[in-house]
Parts: sequence; C-alpha cells; structure tokens
Amino acid sequence: MNYNTDSIPHVLGTTLYIDDLPEASTLLHAVPLLSPTAHGTYSGLEVSEALAVHPSVRILTARDVPGKNELGMVMDDEPLLADRKWHYQGEVLALVLAATKSLARKALTKIAILNITELPAITDAREAYAQGKIILKPRVQQCGDTEQALTDCDIVIRGRVESGGQEHVYLETQGAIAFPEDTGGIRLIAGTQSPSLVQQVVARILGLPMHKIEIETRRLGGAFGGKEEQANAWAALAALGAYVTKRPVKLYLNRRDDMQATGKRHPYSSDFTIGLSKDGTIRAFEAVFYQNSGASTDLSPAIIPRTLFHACGAYRIPNVKVTGIMCRTNLVPFTAFRGFGGPQGFFVIESAIEAAAHALHMDPMELRLKNLVHTNDRTHYGMRLEDARAEATVKRCMELADWHKLRASIDEFNSKNHRYKKGAAGIPICFGISFTKLMMNQGGALVHVYHDGSVSVSTGAVEMGQGVNRKITLLTARCFGIPETRVKVETTRTTTVANTQPTAASTGTDINGAAACIAAEQIKERLLLFAAEMLHTIKTELDFSNGRLVYVKPSDKAGQDTGYSFDDIVKKAYESRIDLSAHAFYATPDLFYNMEKEHGKPFAYHVYGCAIVTATVDTLKGTYRFDTAWIVHDLANSIAPDIDSGQIEGAFAQGLGWSTLEELCFSSDGRLLSNTLSTYKVPDAHFMPEMIVEILDTPNPHAVANSKAIGEPPFMYGIAGYFAVLDALHAANPTGTLFFDLPMTPEKALRYLDNLVESPATLKTHNNIEENQ
Amino acid sequence: MQRTIRFRLNTEEHTITPEREQPALDWIRNTAQLKGTKEGCREGDCGACMVILGENIEGKPVYRAVTSCTLGLSDLDGKHIITIEGIAAAGITPVMQAFLETGASQCGFCSPGFVVALTALFIEGGPIDYHHAITAIDGNLCRCTGYGSIRRATAKLIEAFPELPKDFATRLAFLAEKGILPQALADTMHTLPEPIREIVSTTKTLGGGTDFFVQNPDPDQELIPHYTDLEPHAQQIRLEDDRLIIGSAVTMRDFFASERIRTMYPGIEQYEQYIASTPIRNRATLAGNIANASPIADMTILLLALGAELIIKNAHGSSRSLSLQNAFISYKKLAIESEERIDAIMIPATTVRISFEKVSKREHLDIATVNSALAVEEARDGTIKQARLAIGGVAPIPLILEEAAAMLLGSRPTAERILQAAERAQAAVSPITDVRGTSEYRKRLVYRLVLAHAIRLWPEREEELLP
Repeated sequence: MNYNTDSIPHVLGTTLYIDDLPEASTLLHAVPLLSPTAHGTYSGLEVSEALAVHPSVRILTARDVPGKNELGMVMDDEPLLADRKWHYQGEVLALVLAATKSLARKALTKIAILNITELPAITDAREAYAQGKIILKPRVQQCGDTEQALTDCDIVIRGRVESGGQEHVYLETQGAIAFPEDTGGIRLIAGTQSPSLVQQVVARILGLPMHKIEIETRRLGGAFGGKEEQANAWAALAALGAYVTKRPVKLYLNRRDDMQATGKRHPYSSDFTIGLSKDGTIRAFEAVFYQNSGASTDLSPAIIPRTLFHACGAYRIPNVKVTGIMCRTNLVPFTAFRGFGGPQGFFVIESAIEAAAHALHMDPMELRLKNLVHTNDRTHYGMRLEDARAEATVKRCMELADWHKLRASIDEFNSKNHRYKKGAAGIPICFGISFTKLMMNQGGALVHVYHDGSVSVSTGAVEMGQGVNRKITLLTARCFGIPETRVKVETTRTTTVANTQPTAASTGTDINGAAACIAAEQIKERLLLFAAEMLHTIKTELDFSNGRLVYVKPSDKAGQDTGYSFDDIVKKAYESRIDLSAHAFYATPDLFYNMEKEHGKPFAYHVYGCAIVTATVDTLKGTYRFDTAWIVHDLANSIAPDIDSGQIEGAFAQGLGWSTLEELCFSSDGRLLSNTLSTYKVPDAHFMPEMIVEILDTPNPHAVANSKAIGEPPFMYGIAGYFAVLDALHAANPTGTLFFDLPMTPEKALRYLDNLVESPATLKTHNNIEENQ
Repeated sequence: MQRTIRFRLNTEEHTITPEREQPALDWIRNTAQLKGTKEGCREGDCGACMVILGENIEGKPVYRAVTSCTLGLSDLDGKHIITIEGIAAAGITPVMQAFLETGASQCGFCSPGFVVALTALFIEGGPIDYHHAITAIDGNLCRCTGYGSIRRATAKLIEAFPELPKDFATRLAFLAEKGILPQALADTMHTLPEPIREIVSTTKTLGGGTDFFVQNPDPDQELIPHYTDLEPHAQQIRLEDDRLIIGSAVTMRDFFASERIRTMYPGIEQYEQYIASTPIRNRATLAGNIANASPIADMTILLLALGAELIIKNAHGSSRSLSLQNAFISYKKLAIESEERIDAIMIPATTVRISFEKVSKREHLDIATVNSALAVEEARDGTIKQARLAIGGVAPIPLILEEAAAMLLGSRPTAERILQAAERAQAAVSPITDVRGTSEYRKRLVYRLVLAHAIRLWPEREEELLP
C-alpha cells in the first residue's frame, strides 16, 4: 500500500481508544476531586453526603495509598493524592469511584473541603527566584569569555523575552483502565508515552514489585509530550482504585479536568545580551532563562538543559554564557511538550537577532545567514558539528521563497496600502537528537516470526499518531524482504519489552526502529543459514526479496528464484527446530557528557532546516492572517515520506499556535482561566497558511536506515510566524517599540500599534557604532 | 418522566423513553455502543463527536453535520442520526480514501469527525469548492496534521466530485453509486421517521441546546426540556406586514441562507463564517442565542442593530412584545419570566446596510473579545435616516449605543462625524478584563470597530479614518 494502513481503522471509526474499550459490568468509573485554588491548606474532607449518592460510591484519599504516595521521579515533591495542603489549582485531593461516571460526578459535587486556609500563590518565575524558590541548582553552559568579548563588540544589545505556556490539546484526554489480577497485582491499559515509567510509579504507589504490574499502551489519540511524565498520576489513580476495590476502574478525564490538572509547556522569562561586530558577526551571547517550573519538579531538570543546548539556535557564536534556573511557582507542574525547552531557547536567540538586525539596519535574514553554524564548528557545549546543513537549508529556503523578490513585493504592498501591512520572517533550526539524559538512549525489541511466515514486532515505542508503527513495519518488512502486510506491530507492553524509555525526544524510530532491525536481522541470519545448508550454498549468496528466497551476488545464479518463498523457508526452519524469535537491544553509540563541565557530545546528530513565513496584519483591528510558509527540512533518507511531511506540517502548526494564537492565561492568584477549548484556541483549518515543504534528503549515517528523527525540530519553524507579524507591525509603525512577548495575540499587536508597549520588554542599546561610522 | 421519542440511528428505527435527558453523544456511545463518535471537548469546539442530523425543515428532509455533545437526546424525535458507523457500513468511502491517500489521519481521534463533516457536505449538495469544503470542516480540530494533508484530501475530493445533482433523491442515488454513502443508508434518507410528539410537562424550553449542554454537560435527572423545533412554523422566516417574523427554531444557518434575509440586508451572508462553526450554526437558534443572554452573543448583536423585537409567550398562550434592546437586565439575565419564552423574533422589513465586526483570538469559531454591528437605513441620496450601533463584550449586557449612532444621522457622514461617533462609543463603555482581553484593550477596540464599520459602509472615507 502506498499509504499508512495503520490509519484505516481511524477513518472507519473503528479504532479503540481508552474510552472505547468494552467495559466489564463490575467496572467503576473514577473522577478526581481537584484543588479549587492555587495554594492552600485544609483539615480534611466531609464525604458522608457524597457516599449517600449511591451505594457504589467510594472515595479514596492519601490515606488509602498502600505504598509511597509520591509521583516525583527526581524529588519527592509531587504526592499522588494531596494530604491537607495543595500547591497548585488542579492538584488531586481525592478519587471518587462509582458505577457510572454520572454518579461519580454527582458524588464529587457533594464533597466538602473542610477549613480551607488560602495561602499566597506565586505565579511568576522571577518572583519565585527572588524569593529563593528554585528547584535544584541553576545550570550554566559557557564557552569563550563573554565578558571580554562584549567589551570588544561594536554593538551590544540587551533585552527581555517572554514566552507563554502551551496546552497540549491532545484530542484524546488522559486516561487509564486498571484491572485487579488474581496474582495480587494490577494490569493497566494506560494512555502513556512511557509504559515502563507508569509501571515503576504504580509499583511504588502500591508497594509492589514491578513484575506485579503490567502496563499495556494500545495507542494514543495524540500526546505531544503531555503523556510522558504527566500520564503517571491518572494510571496510578486508576490502579489504586482497582487495588482497593478489587474491581476494574476506569479514569478518563473530561477536557476541563484535563486542562486544569495536567502539566503544559513551561512559560519562560529571559534576559539576553548579544554583542556583534558592525558587519553583523555575532561575537558574544549571554542569556538567563527563568523557567516557570510550576509546583513540582516533574521533568523540569531534563527540560532546562535542552533550553541551554539550543540557546544559540543555528548560529556560530564564539563566546557564550547561558544560565537556566528552575523556579518553583504555584502553577500546575509544567512538563514535556514537543521541543522540550528547545523552543523557549530558540525564541530568545531569534529575538536577540531580530533586535540586532534592527539596530544595525540589516535584513534580519541576511544577518541570520551570515552567522549560521558550519561543519566542524563546535557548539558552546563542545560538540563538533558533523555535516552541518544549516546553510544548505537556509539558502534553499530563501531560493524557494524567492526572498529578495518577496521582500520587494512586500515593501511595495506596504507602500501602497495603509490599512493592511504585510511582513515576512525566516528562522533556521539546528536541533540535537537524543535524550539529554544519557541513560535514556536505549531501547529493546522483540520479534517473532510465526511459522506461517507472518511477523510480529514489539518494541518500547508508543504509537500516538506520529507513525512510529508504520516506520517500524516498513523497516522490519524491508529487512525480511517481505510485503509490509506480513508485519504487525504490537501494542506496547511491559511484559514483552521491559525497562523501556518514553517515546519522546523524537527518538521513537531511531531507537526502537534500530532495535527492531537488529532483532529481525538475527532471525533472518538464522533463516539464511538454514536455507543455505538446504540449498548447498552459502548464506551470502541468498536473500529474501518480495517474499521470495532469491540468489544474489556473488552467486552465479544471482537474480534467480530459489523456488522457495519466505514462508516456505520459515515453515521448514520451524520444523527443523530453529528459533524464530529474537530480542534485541539498541543503545545510541558515542554519546558522552560531563555534567560538571557542561561539555561533551550529548546528541547523536542534529537536524537542520529553515522556514520563511509571511503574514498580513489588519492595522485597524490588530488582527492578522498568515499567508504562506516555505519550509526546507533536513529529513535525510525518509523511511515514510508521507508521515514525515505530516509531522513537519503538524509540528509547524503547533509552533505557529504557540507563537501567536495559543494563550495560556492564569489569574494573578494562580487560577487557570483558559481551561476549556472555548477559551484556549488552537489552530484550525482556516488559521494555517499555505505550506510549501521541500526535503533535503542527504543520508544520515547516525540513525536507522540513514534517516533523521522528525517529531520535534519542525515545531521551531512556527516562531517565524511571530516575527512575520512583528515585521508587518513594524511596517505600520516604524517607530514602535519592538517586543518579544510570545504569543503574539491581537491584543499585543494592537498595543504595539497604539505605542503602548511597556518598557521592560524594550531594548537598551549600548551602541558605539555611530562613533565608528 | 421523559417523553417517548422515535428516531432513526443509521439504518435502524428506535423508539425509546430515555430515563433522563442527556447529550445524544452519551446515548450513541454508551447505549447504542457506537464508539466511532468521540468525546473530545464536550462543548462543541472540537468536532470529534460530529454526526449527521436529518430533520424535516419546512416538510423536507434536510441533512446537516452537528456536534452530538450539544444535541439533546429527546430532541431526536422524528429525526435521523447518521454516525461514522453508518457511513462506514459498506467499507471505505471516497472521503475516507482521500484521507488515507494524503496521510490526513495521524492519531486518528479526530478523523471520524472530519469524515462525517465532509460527507455531510456532499449530502447537502451545495457547491463543492475549496471555500465550501473548508467551511464544512471549520468546526473540526486536528492537533496532529497542521491541516496540510486534510486540505489535500479535500482538494482531491473536490476534483473527484466537482458537481452534485441538485435534486435530493437524484443526489442520494449518485452518492450511493459513488460509494460516499452506503446504498442501504441512502435508501432510508428519503423520508424521516414520524415524530411521536408526546406532550409532557416540561421544565425548560431549549432551541438547539448548543449552549445549554456546554453549561450543563451532565444535566440533572429532573430536566425535561421542550425543544422548539417541533412547533408549527417555528422554523419559518415569514413576512407579515412590514416585519420579518423569525420563528423560535430558526437556526443561524437558515437565517443566513434565507433569500428574504439576504435580499433585505444585502451582504449579510458574508458574516456567517465568523459566527460559531458549521455544526453549531446548523443547530443553534437565534432565539436561543438571545435567551442565553450572553453579552457577547454574535447573533444578538446583529439583531440588535437590525432593531429586533421579541414576541414573548407565556404558559397560557398569551403573548407580549419586548424590544430586544430592553430585553437584557443584567449578566445572563433576560427581562422575561420563568414561565415565559421567546416565541419569535421580529425585525423591521426595511432594507438596511449592515456591517458586522468581531475581534477574537482566532478568526473562526471563537468567542469575540468585542463584537459590533452597525445598521444604517439610507435614503436614495445617501442620507442616513436611521442608524443602530450594537456592541458586545463591553458590559454585562449587549449594548445599543444611541448617542454614538446619532452622530451618523443626516447627510452622508464625514470623517469628522465618524471619528466623533467612535469617540462617543468608546466613552460610553466600561468593560471588564477577562481571559479574552483587558478592559483598556476592549475600549480601544470599540473605537476601532466603529471605524471599521464606517470604512465598510463608506469606503471612500478609508484614508481619512485610518489611525
């Protein structure tokens, strides 16, 4: 088939997501009681009225946890169930179980939280920092000597950059179904990117060894990082319910609870200093990133280094000092979201460059082009860039968009139109692939060839719409030389492949696909050896192709069929007692990193690319539309081009949403205001511009089948949308104060037009260029 | 006690007496056990629960996409619900095939909703072009694809089926022949089940329920709603003397599609796309939009500018009229008693030019930060005889700004008068800050939206009016 057969049940409506699975008649539905405000204490819960709603109602609190009431993986600062205090709005105080969801909801409304004392809530990262509320120690990466370099620069610009949080809006909300097992353990069907992590957390919560807990993840209706660490609580709560009641328990969050209670992308507030020579060469860059980490540690310590690793974007900067600080606030624990701190880093350096281009009266695109990284450059964390493709993609993208003509046509349009103004901007990307936590770069696969010749593959990868199942199917089929219809990728289970890592960091195919190929190769090797013996030849003269066993070079019969199919050989091998199963393991090679020195090679390789986006602003209303996006993306040898182009467009859409449309709003006392899809808007079919995507297909020796990872890097392209609108606004009001405060909502656009941009976001320029000129 | 209802689900007839009122989504998923209709947001914003609703409008079967999370179960009397299972009964359809071939289904959770929406477009038989196809999916969210592949799927479909038979029966035969609908399903669509019309004492009158079920996603056991659409003439827009009478069950969709309305208010249909989404417009009524009494309701703002009056009926059948302008007392509160309800909306049958403006974060399917409409009645020489300016989102109730509008009366307004009107309008409002915008932003928008109206109505003033 020339399309993703995995999608057939989706379009037919027959795919079974968590809420679609058949329910046992004994099943109880669970709904969480969430803390109503951002920070407070309470003496307990009054539940008698709630219990009276229906005999099936059960209410579980911290006291019902048999093991350790803790979700945190780095620090013990995230209880599964709150115990007389809460630290953010949406913390789970109790779990209500009942025979139907409707009854559980009704019971929930009858619970009284007793003697609430409101405590002051911190919502701002800088305020938390000022009060000393930080998580772990700040991390600092540096190279060269920024202090010295900045004094030598012709121009130095300082600025402040804000970026907002982002709600994942996976269409399928979080959920899990737990089944009590007769072994005393729990089996779970969980909506998680990380079944092994859920297994570990549930084991800890229930005080059981991991082998008593089995997790299956069938597929996810979207995740985007939101079901990595943040899926644990819901699975653990369902497991706790099943453990206590000895009945199956389903917890499937409704949208409002999901938006209220689950972590999102971290808001950041950052300061930068950039120094350049008058010709536009970047000499030095400093930045301090105040990460709003939320109320508990969650994944923040893994996310902050990715911000630092990407603080220089796709640029060569000889003197760098970047600092990341995790600030503890009274907001929901912020978590993984496509890009994992990278986008926040990119937005700061791109803002600095935009500011520099304005100060130097240069075309920002030319300034970017001038400072791109090249092959053999070393990053500020000491990694040598092998085969850098920044310039190739940027130049091609400028060609594709016909940049100079585009600029001229925009200038012409703007000179002729008063109300509507157009703008354009482009940004390059350079994104490191591998988990930043070294140990996580490992994965396993289990391949069975059944004796009819059909193939089953299990890995640690979770299918969530990114097409990893399709890619693993194609890789395995290619390896065995059989049609893809003969390969089935199984649901992800902790009992088939153990100790797996989250499907995250864009590495799903790189790691799991590689492991599947190694396992398949092992079986194929056995089959060819067996066949060679049978045909009185040697195995190097045989191979499988199109489901047949054929002679290949150096055989003099190369190209001829042996008269046997793959299925024939499998059947004969089975009868000859040959093992048709294999487990394999893959660990990304050659990674090393010294945390003390913040130096090493944390990534297997980098992904490059460039996007140029145009926008039109209605300067009367402050609203805007995006017109066109040109994207040139370094995809290397794609395993499934249709899937990868979908990933590029989809990631770009999320990035564009984060940069412009999606506004996560909290009240000053820490309540989430944008807690529904009517108050939190994501891109729709009208919103997205025309997208013209071109692929750079130079092979990549560092990933399976010469491919490159795809999930996260194209997210960053969306940032170009922010600057495209800013460019149009600038055309309307050339003396306005530039501001770097994402998302670019229509309200902010109008503030710029009305000259109401406040000073903190403006630039202080120490400029000795005039003296020099 | 709930009423007994009769409806068709795909090809099966059902007569049921539901225990309690609930969104049709819950019945489809939990009772009928059809799991292809997904719950994504339960507030009509994502389209994952989309179904096709067949109902009699003016005696003819009309099939349109609606969100089943905002559709009342007991509203289905005499109607036909088609779910993804009904569409897929004979296997992969051309709509599904287009999604597969373009990679338009990634995680798949939204896919049934998109397939349903585009299938409804074909059943409706309107023009099949890019604009109509994108409008058909303006109530569907996808978080995976970025819509590139979905648009390519749509383009493929437009290319494959550029024209549809105009006649409904011929069209059904065509759609069945092309496999867009299973033959067995198409065969049932020529007629609709006879409604039972059981009379029970009700506790609440609802229009389409598109806002009610958002506010009450899990309604109380006690709720026994009365839906207005089974009443005689409730779906009609008729001319009586010098007034247009809009029945209480007239939907946004029917309002904008009405030839009468389009003729009376030239160009009014251009604003339809900025109000709600296709599946919501297909179900939401004008009366419901008013009854909800939101200060930011788009249709209310349009109707205020058009000088609408309400016909209010009480339980005994006697009625009174109430000008829409005086209908709003306070936030979400109407000047009608609990046993009264809106029976019809009357607007003067006078040709006016109307401008509608709305600023929201997202241009489509979003609640406005500020919305506004300006209607002007002009003499042949351009003299303004009557001007009504309505503004929403700036007070607990939607406002009519008489003083500002008065600045525009008389001879064709000059830029100076328009700017004064804008200033008056701005000075007349004191909005609050909320998730959709700050108070001062809203004030500035009021000023700018008045200018935007003026530029639309008197384009020659544009250069003088732009800030």
